[in-house]
Amino acid sequence: MPEYDLKEVKALKYERPDIVNGYTDQTLYLDLSDRKIAINPVAEKTKKTFTGGKGYNLWLLWNAVQPSTKWNDPENALCIAAGPLGGTPLYPGSGKSIVATLSPTTASVMDSNVGGYFGPYLKFSGFDALEIQGKTSKEVVVFIDGINQKIQIFETSGLPDNAYELSAILTDHFAQGKPRNISVVSTGPGAKNTLIGCLNFTWYDSKRKRARYKQAGRGGVGTVFADKGLKAVVACWNNVTADTNNPADKARLKNVAKLHSREIVELDPKQNEMAKIGTTHLVTIMNDHDLLPTHNFRYGQHPQAPNLGQEVYRRLFDPGFDGCWMGCTVACSHGIKDFVPLTGPYKGKAVFVDGPEYETVAGCGSNLGIFDPHTVAEMNFYCDAYGLDTISVGTGIAFAMECFEMGLINETHTGSLELRFGNRLAALELLHQMANGEGFGQIVGQGVRKMKAIFAKDFNVAPDIMQDIGMEAKGLEFSEYMTKESLAQQGGYGLALKGPQHDEAWLIFLDMVHNFMPTFEQKAEALHWFPMFRTWFALCGLCKLPWNDIIPEDNKDTDEPAKVIKHVQWYADYFSAVTGNEVGPDDLIKMSETVYNFQRIFNLRMGFGRRQHDDIPYRAVGPVTDEEYESRAERYDNQLVKTYQVDIDGKSTAEKLATLRKHREEQYEKLKDAVYKRRGWTSDGIPTRKTAKRLGIDFPEVMELLKAKGVNS
Amino acid sequence: MIQVAGKQHPWHDGMTVSDLLKEIDDSHPYAVVRINEQYVSRPNFEQTIIPDDTEIFLIPMIAGG
Repeated sequence: MPEYDLKEVKALKYERPDIVNGYTDQTLYLDLSDRKIAINPVAEKTKKTFTGGKGYNLWLLWNAVQPSTKWNDPENALCIAAGPLGGTPLYPGSGKSIVATLSPTTASVMDSNVGGYFGPYLKFSGFDALEIQGKTSKEVVVFIDGINQKIQIFETSGLPDNAYELSAILTDHFAQGKPRNISVVSTGPGAKNTLIGCLNFTWYDSKRKRARYKQAGRGGVGTVFADKGLKAVVACWNNVTADTNNPADKARLKNVAKLHSREIVELDPKQNEMAKIGTTHLVTIMNDHDLLPTHNFRYGQHPQAPNLGQEVYRRLFDPGFDGCWMGCTVACSHGIKDFVPLTGPYKGKAVFVDGPEYETVAGCGSNLGIFDPHTVAEMNFYCDAYGLDTISVGTGIAFAMECFEMGLINETHTGSLELRFGNRLAALELLHQMANGEGFGQIVGQGVRKMKAIFAKDFNVAPDIMQDIGMEAKGLEFSEYMTKESLAQQGGYGLALKGPQHDEAWLIFLDMVHNFMPTFEQKAEALHWFPMFRTWFALCGLCKLPWNDIIPEDNKDTDEPAKVIKHVQWYADYFSAVTGNEVGPDDLIKMSETVYNFQRIFNLRMGFGRRQHDDIPYRAVGPVTDEEYESRAERYDNQLVKTYQVDIDGKSTAEKLATLRKHREEQYEKLKDAVYKRRGWTSDGIPTRKTAKRLGIDFPEVMELLKAKGVNS
Repeated sequence: MIQVAGKQHPWHDGMTVSDLLKEIDDSHPYAVVRINEQYVSRPNFEQTIIPDDTEIFLIPMIAGG
């Protein structure tokens, strides 16, 4: 145990308000520059318009920043919120926190959701959201003590940088013998030395007697946290019951929660077994359907993929309850006990690995041509401990590896690293370099967009090929699904507000496998409804997995099975029971639509949010190289002949590649048109004034902004 | 005999997943099934032989993400 010091430099005693129907109606504000602590009321109009969670975060952030604000300016705010339903212990998946801030990699609004106890404990301590502005050169720990009704800021010294040890030490320090009362938010050295830092949110595992964590990974939220001089933010609360949220109708809440919880207990073992194997079942399923990214999204399949499949992780995961929130019956946060890394500062020491999940397996495994589950576990462990996003690390290294294999960069650029696909030691070495801000890892840690610029400027690499194979959009690295054969999912990624993360829409199976949406209008409808419904989870503090990863047995007989309407109705009942506002499924969509459009307008305010910003690299749309085309020549030839009526006789691969590209890129542009129309946006992808008015976000500054951007109707 | 979605179903030698899905009264377009703990996807339905005395789970839809 290292010697460390926590010196209180500021404190505020406060009176904790009663929670009424899931809300505290106040937020906690910290300015680290001048050590200011304040408690601000939530206006009734804010509550009505933005619902909570991500909605509150966006409104706080909107008011904190200017169009000229950069991610590392003191006024950039880091906001964390639960939501009105967050912290309910009965209903599965009710412990999510949402983080929002201006991103170092996209320069616009980023949101990232995460499990763990922090969001609920923050709310039970008296705050619907936390907003942190300012910066400090002396690292601080913030302690939100809901039990003793006190906020403290401590200057720190001697604490370890890595989140693995830091989480354990701070849990022990603040717990006073009750570690389950503590949740720690922290990052690690990788967040300081890269732009792709994540945040770790802890939950206490009583059986294994250790603080475990989940990650808010996307868009460098951990980098903002570290840049502010935050070492950790800790929340303390005890005694969570069905009454803690003070629901409007407890009997109704208990009834609907019991229905959903029992259904999961009954059906998960018959379906995806998430309580046993998490999301690792997806690996072989994606591989079978040519959807598992391998070798920087070149291909969707690899014969060695089963080495990373659920059969392996079923054996590696330590059995037991792994719920990242109390009472969740999905309980998918599995981990590996007594794992011994082969490299880095924990080389030879037994550690506990939180994960891996599917995204990490695909990102740090197959997409790097690595089919060794132990290397994936080691990458997972160090990404978390270093405070690095496994998705951006995986997609970033994959891009660098392909550039190396193509001869665009070489050992003189990589510091002698032989960055070939499948080189496990090189991938791990790069990860350690990222954490330490050293060598070639320092460049890879800037993310794919900046890597492309550096390679072009410093290494004289042609930009066009990097634009095609660098898997980022809006500055965010793609998460780990192949989209070449699913136009709808190309839109699911490309039209997502923050960049290509699948939390808005995951339509590959509906589109590609089942062909349920053959027309542009059907795809556009899906790209309206699914992002809107999925956004609702982030407003309320919920996990989406219980919605559509465990399916009612009679769902297949419903009109629109993909929506799992029975569960949507349960969620409407859940919201009504907690908040006392009687709502139906359409009301949930309206809540989300309001916040969703506001976020799009926020992007516009920051200089983005137009049609051109919804472009995606061609690797996400179709084959970039002759080799890719030829690997699936029958598929592509058939499409040219049957769908586009092209005579391919005598045409070279390069000619067919170019023709296919032209057609596929046209399809994507047509999809944009259809989706913008369905969403009530202009052909440039901007919400119309009419849409803003309909949704109640026609604030004077919003309408002035739309006018200034040429939106007059 | 095999068990399919909780119900007994007669097994025959060489029975594939495709054969089974044709035999049962269920028109849902399944893309994935489980044979005990083994996941099988649609591209492999025709060549995957179901052993006797196994339990088959029909995975209704892979929602992902």
